[in-house]
Amino acid sequence: MNKFLTKKLSIISFIFIPIIFLWHPSWLGFLDVQPYWPLFWLLPWSMINGSINGLIFGLFLGLILDSLTLDNNFTQIPGLIFCGFLFGRIKLNSDIFVGHFRYGLICSFGSFLCGTFYFLQILLRNFSDSNSLMFIPSLKNILAEVFLTGFFAPFICSQLLRMFKFSRGKL
Amino acid sequence: MLDIRRISSSRWWHKKKSWIFFGIFLFLVFVRISKGSLYKDFFYFISRPFWPGQFQKEVILKSIDQESLIKLNLLKKDNIRLREILSLQQSSNKDNISAVVISRKTGGWWRQIILNKGSKDGVEIGSTVTGPGGLLGRVNNTSLFTSSVTLLTSPESKLGVWVDRSQINGLLVGLGDDQPSLILYSKDADIKVGDFVSSSPASSLLPPNIPIGIIQSIDETLQSKKTAKVLLLAQPQLIDWVQILQVNF
Repeated sequence: MNKFLTKKLSIISFIFIPIIFLWHPSWLGFLDVQPYWPLFWLLPWSMINGSINGLIFGLFLGLILDSLTLDNNFTQIPGLIFCGFLFGRIKLNSDIFVGHFRYGLICSFGSFLCGTFYFLQILLRNFSDSNSLMFIPSLKNILAEVFLTGFFAPFICSQLLRMFKFSRGKL
Repeated sequence: MLDIRRISSSRWWHKKKSWIFFGIFLFLVFVRISKGSLYKDFFYFISRPFWPGQFQKEVILKSIDQESLIKLNLLKKDNIRLREILSLQQSSNKDNISAVVISRKTGGWWRQIILNKGSKDGVEIGSTVTGPGGLLGRVNNTSLFTSSVTLLTSPESKLGVWVDRSQINGLLVGLGDDQPSLILYSKDADIKVGDFVSSSPASSLLPPNIPIGIIQSIDETLQSKKTAKVLLLAQPQLIDWVQILQVNF
């Protein structure tokens, strides 16, 4: 049982992403916005397993997270697929210190991409209403999410990367 | 003799891994179609020990007092009107269900709360959800143990409302920030900062006269309509207990 758990550590941690997404702890937020949790898992997974795996699991994550949010008209799948593919192209860096900061920057960029994709969908849908009032809250959401994701990524991604490498080594 | 037969394991459908991926994909499509009810029910069980108790009592009691006062005034006026007209919808408090907020997303892209009562307890899609202060939103999706509520602040939310002082109907549209926008399709509509907004007596989606908010600012720059920002009375980021009103009002 222990051996199974060690081997499948990455998949088991995948299951907990939607739970954290639902948990939404307010004390961890900034301007009532949360970090974009799925990227913390997707970055180490894609870095280890490559672009195609990243793309597939980006799709899987998108499917689950879309099912948990009520917006039937907007989807997180394009952003996560793109990030999964992009993260897979990144090589692992041996310099631990540089690596830590890199995770922050990459996750910030990924969060910016996902946020922008989502915002574009909202804009396209409300194009006919030309509702300029939506710009400010959306911009606030993107910026707060980028900041928080970049802030937490070095801590979480490096731990997950170490965990995934360890579980891969056991295979 | 040279065997030119293709090695069977080279086909993708002979690989166990491909089928595992296909299986996972099918499962996730099922999760997507069922709107994550598996996850929501699982979350119901693991978050159960952490459900809120009696804290924030003061905030809630103060909001309840305010709500009661406003509601009383509204009911008095409504009663007089009813005596005159004799054909208005009436809301009943018999079928209210009390529920705890077990997950909340009140900021960011998604504005929803998840409650610990689901289809098992008789919650139906479209039920109205109120908290201390007034209206919070409508139930958009239910699983066996949970129900998800679209908040008034969500860009998905569009409701008919009633401005009490000038007796006019308007449309309350969520914009994704904390203050939804009230749209009145008449440039001459008589609204002022401080006007009270409640659910419309003519609405087919909500029971009448549920307090919603107070007009905070008015934008008159548009040519054909008047818009106003509404400060909501109920605060979903603080509320832990809510009431679900059944659909058949």
